[in-house]
Amino acid sequence: MSCKMRKTAFQIVLAALLAVSCNKVSPIGVLVAGTAVEDRVAMSNLFYRNHYEDKVWLLAKGDYTFLVGADSHITDDSARMDEMLSIGLEDDDLFYAHLGDIADTKAEYYVTLDSLLQEAKSRYVNKHYHKVGTEYVSNDNTDPDPVTMPFDRITYPFFPVVGNHDITRNGWALWSNIFHSSFYEIDVLVDLGDGNYAFDHLIFLDSASGTLGKTQIDLINQGVLDGKHADDTYPYRNTFVFSHTNIFRPQFFEFASTFTREETFFLLDQFEKWNVSAVFCGHTHTWDERNYNGVHHFTLDTMCERNNPEPGDYLVRMFCNADGTLEWSPVHMSTTKRK
Amino acid sequence: MMKRHSIALAFALLVSSLAWGQTYSGPRAYDGVHRNVIDGTLLGGYNVVTGWFIGESGAYTRHLTDRWSVSADEQMQLFKQVYSASVTGTYRLPLGRTNLYFDGRVLFNRYDRWNVNEPIVNLSAYWETSYVDLRLGESLVRYHKIGVKEEYRSYTTTGYTEPLVMTFGLGVNIRPRSNPWNLGLFIRNYDQFYYENWNINWGVRFHATLRPEMKLFGEFDVRPAGSISQLATRYETSLKVGLHYVL
Repeated sequence: MSCKMRKTAFQIVLAALLAVSCNKVSPIGVLVAGTAVEDRVAMSNLFYRNHYEDKVWLLAKGDYTFLVGADSHITDDSARMDEMLSIGLEDDDLFYAHLGDIADTKAEYYVTLDSLLQEAKSRYVNKHYHKVGTEYVSNDNTDPDPVTMPFDRITYPFFPVVGNHDITRNGWALWSNIFHSSFYEIDVLVDLGDGNYAFDHLIFLDSASGTLGKTQIDLINQGVLDGKHADDTYPYRNTFVFSHTNIFRPQFFEFASTFTREETFFLLDQFEKWNVSAVFCGHTHTWDERNYNGVHHFTLDTMCERNNPEPGDYLVRMFCNADGTLEWSPVHMSTTKRK
Repeated sequence: MMKRHSIALAFALLVSSLAWGQTYSGPRAYDGVHRNVIDGTLLGGYNVVTGWFIGESGAYTRHLTDRWSVSADEQMQLFKQVYSASVTGTYRLPLGRTNLYFDGRVLFNRYDRWNVNEPIVNLSAYWETSYVDLRLGESLVRYHKIGVKEEYRSYTTTGYTEPLVMTFGLGVNIRPRSNPWNLGLFIRNYDQFYYENWNINWGVRFHATLRPEMKLFGEFDVRPAGSISQLATRYETSLKVGLHYVL
């Protein structure tokens, strides 16, 4: 090998060493665009603590259900996403969770998504609220002097996690402009009647980068997602976790990265600490369902029209019974790909 | 035209690789004198989940014949609390002037921090030429939780056997392997004591002969998360330095 070649080889090695000191490195050492998980979680946590923490509650009476979908990859055709929101509204699900990769990274797709969500929120408000002057009051409110609120302050119960396709290029800017936070928790206060209540707990993780990252793991270890409202008198009855990246690989030919060894075991251990009832993941576009160490794990198939053009059972509905037991069923989607 | 150029380039690389191998028996092959090989390694690094860690690993290899060898490895990673032991049986098939190794390995990992045991069986073929080495194989990985709550045992599984995990790795050196020192790059989805599915790691490796029976070797290893289908994100960085001794 000539002296020049040797020098070039050393320069390549040196460049590789320098590249690894950066936070966003592709496997071949090329810097990639996008917002890293550390920044996303720091922003999300700050936003959520400042704006939502004690303001977003879900109230349920007795039995309730929720709907979960994954990997809609919205492009020009948003019919499946629209169908999910319509099913949730018609069947009175308490909330709808989306497991990430909601739209491919293009501004116009997010404009479509935002319009879809605004329209769905209007339908939701029309069904569950009535107007008093220019403001709204919940139909469930029996208070003779009810609290009214403007349209913008009503929480539309659509809760997504962020996926890897949501954060490529300028994806995080588009995604966070609508949803604001990728790392958060929500309490469900369940009125069981006769003055009895129970709490359920929803945890949304940012796993879009294939790792939770140091900031998120530190926050989890500090107990940030352990819940604020339950106590010894009313402990959390059921906890549900939502993540884009999946834990269990459904089949041999699965070319999507899952969590690394240590992080897999960290998460499985953390689910036990949180006393989790069910975990919902997406990412692989392949269905899988199993019980591991007392936790029910679902990996959902994609609801995207391009990947699954034919009608099928792409959604999951969880039934949370008043006695604390859980049941689930697949939910059929009938929309086909637009010609 | 491009295709013809590519075929010609591949053929040239293959021929030069075989030519370099004319005086080369490979570091893993029996040298005809020393049947026993000992490796000792110190390692340290940073992992996003566990933070800083240090550790050691050791390996003993016995060449039974010119073709057959057996080896035993162990490692301890402190702070990360990972402990491992493995045994490997190897058959070397000389192929032209290169070596093709067939490795059968049983590995046991204990992830003590999270009460998980992970037994693994790996079968792989490792082709070693003067400048390039390539590994292809399959792993059967199972993990199970220990110390499971009594009330769970009646209705839940506490172990999981992954679908077959493909093993792949590629390494290149800047000098022929027979050179007293070398520097190279590698990319692979496994390390000495773990087998990932589609999470790859890559880095720089080196070795230098200190005495005829002793070599210094090392690796700087970058292990990103989400590297195949997602944006690669920093997960673990580590450095290993070790001594290779034949007697």
